[in-house]
Order: sequence, then structure tokens, then C-alpha cells
Amino acid sequence: MELLTSFGFEIVDGPEIETEEFNFDMLNIKKSHPARQMHDTFYIENKSNLLRTHTSPVQIRGMLEKKPPLAFISGGKVFRKDDDATHLPMFHQVEGIYVDEHVSFSQLKDLIYKIIYALFGNDVELRFRPSYFPFTEPSAEVDILSKEGKWLEILGCGLVNPVVLENCNIDSTKYSGLAFGLGIERIAMLKHGVTDIREFYKSNLDFLSQFK
Amino acid sequence: MKIAYRHLVQHIEESPSIEHISDKLFQLGHEHEIDGDILDMEFTPNRGDCLSIYGLLRDLAVFYTVDLNHKIFSEKLNELQLDFENLSENICPKISFLKLEIDQVPETYKNSLDNYFKDLGLNKNNFFTDVSNYLSYETGQPTHCYDANIMSGKLLFHEIEKNEEFETLLDKKITLTGKNSVFSLNDNVINLAGVVGGKRTSCSSNTKIVIVECAFFQPEAIIGKSVKYDIQSEASHKFERGVDPECHDKVLRRFIKLVSDHANIKDMSIISYKYKDNPTHQIPVNVKKINQIIGINISEKEYLNTLSKLEFVVEEGFIKVPSFRSDIKTQNDLAEEVARVIGYDNIATSKISIPNNNKKTNHKAIENKLRFFLLDHGFYEVINSPFVSLSSEEAIKVDNPLDSNREYLRTNITYSLVDNLLFNERRQKDSIKLFEISDLYSSNNGINKKRKLSIIASGRVGENYKDFSKKINKEYLLTLFQEILPNEVFDFKLVSRDLLDTKIKNEIVSLEVDINSFSSDILFYKEVSQSPEGFAQYNLISDFPSSFKDISYSIKDYSKTQELQDLLLNYQSDIIKNIYIFDYFKNEKKEEIKIGFRFTFQSNKATLNSAEIELIYNDIINKSLNISGISIPGL
Repeated sequence: MELLTSFGFEIVDGPEIETEEFNFDMLNIKKSHPARQMHDTFYIENKSNLLRTHTSPVQIRGMLEKKPPLAFISGGKVFRKDDDATHLPMFHQVEGIYVDEHVSFSQLKDLIYKIIYALFGNDVELRFRPSYFPFTEPSAEVDILSKEGKWLEILGCGLVNPVVLENCNIDSTKYSGLAFGLGIERIAMLKHGVTDIREFYKSNLDFLSQFK
Repeated sequence: MKIAYRHLVQHIEESPSIEHISDKLFQLGHEHEIDGDILDMEFTPNRGDCLSIYGLLRDLAVFYTVDLNHKIFSEKLNELQLDFENLSENICPKISFLKLEIDQVPETYKNSLDNYFKDLGLNKNNFFTDVSNYLSYETGQPTHCYDANIMSGKLLFHEIEKNEEFETLLDKKITLTGKNSVFSLNDNVINLAGVVGGKRTSCSSNTKIVIVECAFFQPEAIIGKSVKYDIQSEASHKFERGVDPECHDKVLRRFIKLVSDHANIKDMSIISYKYKDNPTHQIPVNVKKINQIIGINISEKEYLNTLSKLEFVVEEGFIKVPSFRSDIKTQNDLAEEVARVIGYDNIATSKISIPNNNKKTNHKAIENKLRFFLLDHGFYEVINSPFVSLSSEEAIKVDNPLDSNREYLRTNITYSLVDNLLFNERRQKDSIKLFEISDLYSSNNGINKKRKLSIIASGRVGENYKDFSKKINKEYLLTLFQEILPNEVFDFKLVSRDLLDTKIKNEIVSLEVDINSFSSDILFYKEVSQSPEGFAQYNLISDFPSSFKDISYSIKDYSKTQELQDLLLNYQSDIIKNIYIFDYFKNEKKEEIKIGFRFTFQSNKATLNSAEIELIYNDIINKSLNISGISIPGL
């Protein structure tokens, strides 16, 4: 977060209990999208609310509150109905958004390079792959090359879908935006060589003492 | 989806290697793994159009000379007389049926049909189903085959909302519940639309007359059904992602061609129902906008040339989106097409500069100060799952919990920390100081949120000679907090061990407090801990029990104290997990320093036996006694 604030982002917070409107609708995630199914999302109190599945609704709230140019980052717990060796029902994300006039994909690339180099050093090799997120278009996933020569997915990013900007009352003919999101546990696992994501939540002093 | 390299490359004039195709597929955003000659593809959910040989070739056509003209039956077809009614035209706006009769069921397959089963190692089913499956692989359009001899009566497509038993052609009995789009024959469900057909009307190895159904279903009507009924369905995978609504005639004529390659067709007829036109989506040509979105500078000619290779048509200043690309709606979508073809990695970066004005800088300042204060005093921060079984009346219930033990959201943190404490005590930890900061939610006239700090501590104050003999109690924690927050009152509580599964007697002290209740006095605290400069490499944690040994030294020559500490605190062994000084006393009268070291032994591979520990223990003693002027009393 310190790194991102040094780039000019402002930290914003939002609730972990969200509405479907902010978690899905405003982000261009259709009613029929599989992520909205009961087997993927935790709903509460007779489906009146849900546990946020990503930190993106915080950005929606931020965009509704302020006018461009704006640059937010939000971090925190997110929830998905998964529970196995590689997925947890709760994990942490950091997402960032920057909306201004003439924000382009090539600027997004510049920002991502800066983030990755700061996290993994200037020698790390990375690649951008086209991907799909309903809230960004074009969308990309970014991989870094491990010491073993394997490409490892590190973050998702893209230009904010104009539909999302319009949903937040931002004129998409004048403004464009970039957004990125990364999983904290995933970055920590890659950085520290942790192989089992569950270790982060066992509260084991043998584990915790290694990172103090 | 598995695609055989040779099924692709036979349509590509340049005959590229699998590695070359693989590079291009990654550039286009089609993730995959290579297993021998098989490309195991994983497409993004917006690219349902790529779920076939021809779909993938359409994308690869931007890089290669691709032949997309497969052989089809091109002669005129008679109209099929079918008693069919569609009561849900909005779900199925287009559907076609083909009826075919062959003289004999072929025993062996030829050409691409044969290669399909051989190269992908697939099991055959029956002739018509096999052709249908191959056609789905080749064109991306699922078709369903009914045995025509069983299909007498009225065929109905409709959405039902009633419980109904249905036996799939995979011999699985399911009960349809809620809303389902189905085909019914004489009021009996024979097909769960877009997901799986029924056993009663399915083809067999003897089927010579078939009715082939080729439909477009709205993805919204299909999504979630295969998961709901636990059915592995390639058809639903494709319908959920959207198929080409304009492909029916071509697909069914290809079906006829494949059948005619294997058997004599005695009779055939076709009928198509189109209830709603599929409007061609049009986007104005605006290369300036495309350049602005991507941050490049390509010419209009170059731009339109790229799109034409992807089967977009330009007419009168508009770009017409092909019917199979339901994902393309905006200029941003077109920009992504151009960016993919250029290659994301080939797009140059342009410097970003985010204006830094009016930004709040004191985000969670109090919380962060508290965090540092606790870390400085030997506490560890933990994070626990919010899902619990037992909770207060105000706890929020999860509609769809993972299991009955995780049905509610916790309303306090302390219970989680008690579990953490017991977990560590079972791992022979005797100095445990933990804290957690978390939002807590409860339901009482609406959803209430509180951000709380919770602390738990038990055992020794610290693993050092100053704190080794001191036990954690309320007074210790009160003193700690009052040093920095003298004007605040803290309600430290003792947690009873009566109901806990433990024999340890140390007091457990806890505190749970609203973060907002802290005054800004904490902001004056000067933290000692700093963010690590580098990243520590994680050492695997052992689940085997640990044990410890203490060695106490007498040092007459004070100058040797540091040498002894350097030797012991840096002693390396695979089975030593921790070393610290637990006792230190300088006796001026006797001119002697007494210093005690504690060594924790633990293996990652097995429970250690005493001989393994003694070996290392004796080595430590021997090396330390080589330092002149020190001794081990009682040795």
C-alpha cells in the first residue's frame, strides 16, 4: 500500500458486506454471470446482501463520491465459496483504479511494470496476456517468470469498461480509467516461497515468527 | 478443451509447429498447456466462439493463411414435417431440425471423424451421437440426436417450473426443480435443453433414422444447470458462453456430409424456425479512439485490415460484428482485438503520472500505531476466518455456508484467538502473545459494523533472559498499555481454562476493544519495528513435536561472553529451530557471569529420538568449551 500511495493513489475503504448492486451490477457483471451463483458467492440474510467477492465495490463507491481525476486503492478481505488446498473462503486483495482524461493501455503497462519491479526487482521478466473481466476492456493478466522458468500469474488489470464509468456517472467519452487487482496471499507465497495458502491462517507462531 | 495440433494445422497453409501456434495462442489470450500433440485449452468465458477447431482457426487467421471452407452438403433439401411448438421463443429464438435415414450403420469411421476419436483418445458411443460430438468439436455448435422411431407425437420446447423426474442419456436420474428449459414429447421431458438429452429418446447403435436438433439458447437460461444437476456437459459449456445463432444451416449441412461419407442416405429433410432476427451489431469506424484507448498510432488501413482478418466487415463507415462474436459491442472491445493482434507485450509503455492532490495521508493512523506498538512488544498479528458455528443472537447467518460449523459470522474475535492460543500451546509454545484487528458485523435493526482490536496472551512474557521468568498476567498488560496511554482504561479479562481442552495452567489474559475508542494519544508512540528491507525465505514448518535443552555457562573471563554468544546463537543444525538466552547474571563479587541458553530441537522429517538430540547437544558443548575461560557447572 505504501508503494501505491507513493505513486499517487489514495487509500479508500469499504464494507465487507455488500449489495449485489455494488458487488456485481455496477461492475457490469450480468445477472447470469456464474460468479453470482450460490456455489460461488456467500449470500446472507435471505440473499438481501452478500460478502464481497472482490474489493472492486469500494472503487465504485469511490467513483460515485468523487469526480475525476481520481486514483484510489483499496485492500482488504474478500470472500468466495471455495475451500481446498489452493483456495480459501476468505483471502485478501488490493485493487487500484485511476480515472482521468486520456488514460491508455500503454500507461497501464507503465504502472504495472513499476509495481512488479518494486515487488520483484528490476530483473524480473514479465508478460501481458489478454484476458477477460467484465469490468475492464481491454483486460490483461500479467505473469512473471519464475527462477524455474515457469510463468506465474501475478495480477489482473485493464482499462475500466466504459459501462462501469457510466454506471458511476462518469462521462466515458471524456474520461477513461485503468484498474488492477492482485491477491495478497498469492504475492506473499511467491515472494516468500510459501507453498500452502492455508499456512497464512493457522496462526502458527513457527510460521508468524519467520516474517516479523 | 483438448484440441489436437494436427486437426488445426491441416487447415493452415504455412504448417507452423505446435510451439509457433502455442506462442500465437498466448498472444491472442488463449491460455493452454501442451501435452504431446494436444493443446489443452482454457478459454476466457467471453470467447465461447473459440470452443472449436474452426473457432480457433478464425482467430489464428490473423497470423496464418487459414482454410475455413469445409465440405458441406450443398444441394436443396426437402422440408421436414414435424409436429413442433416453441412456447419459449425468447429463450430459443432460433432452432432447426434435420431428419436423416441411412441404409446401414457404419462399422468404422473415416477421415476427420476417425482422427477425432483416435487422436483425442475418446470413446465412441453410436454413429449419430459420434457425428454430433465431432461436429461440436469442429464447428462449436452442439447438436442433439433423437432416435426418430421413438419421436412420435408432439414435440414441445418450453420453460417449466415443477418437480419432474428425468433420466439422462448418461443413465443418471435427476429431479428437475425450479425453472428449467426442456423439450417434452407428449408431456414427458425428453431433453434438458442445452445440457443433456434424455435416455428414452436417445440414439443407439441400431438407430438408422435420426432427428438432429440444432438450436440457439439464450445463455442465461442454461447457466448453472450443469452444476445444479451435477452433469458434465460440453454442450452446456458452449451454450453458456454463447454459440453462433447464424450457423444452423451450415452445421446441419456439414452433418449430412459427414454422414454421407460413411453411409448411404435414404431420405433427408430439414426445417428451421426463426422467431427473432439476430441484428448485426455495428460500431462506427474510429481509429482515433482505438489509438487513444491503446496508446498507439496505427493507420485506419492497418486497423481495418486487422479486423477484416477476424471476419469483421466494414461498410459505410461502420464495422459489422460477425454473428459468432457476441462479446464485441464497443470501441473498447475493438481496441482489445487490435491490441491482441499487435501483442500486448509489443505495445510500448507510455509514462504515467498520477496527480497527487487532495489525498488523505493518515489512513488508519491509530490502527497502524497500535499495530506497531504491539509488534514492538512481542505480539504477533493473526487473521482468522469470520465463519463460526456458535455465536450470539445478533450474529448474521450465511444463507449458503460451506458447512454447519461455518454458518454464522463471528461477533467477537476473542474466541478465535483462544483457538489460536491452544493451537500454539499444543505445539509446545510457552510464550504466546497474539492480536487481531478485524471488522465485526452483527444484525440488530440492520447490519452493524464495528472495527475491533483483540489481544490474547499467556505464558512467559518473552523468550529472553529479562522476561523468561516473568509470567503474563493482567498487570503486565495494563502496565504495558498505560505506559503509552495513561489516560485510558483497559478492561483486561482472564479467560477461564475450565472449559478448554488443555492441562496448562498459565493465566490467559484477553482484551477486545473498539478501535474507535482509542484516543489520538497513541499517535505519539514512536515505533521500533520497521518493515523488513528484504523478503524472508520461508522455511517449512514441522508438524513433529519439539523438545528443548538448556545449557548454563559460567564465564570468568568477561571478554569471552560475546564469543560464546556468537558461537551459540549462530549455531547451525537442521534440527535446531530456536536458540535464545534465557538467563543472564553478572556476579560482581565472584567476578563471574552466568549465562543460560535454551535450544529447541525439532525435525521436519520425523520425531527426534534422544540419540539424535544428544549428538548435536554434545557438539555444542564441545565447541563452546574450546573457548578458554568458560565452564559448564555440574558437567
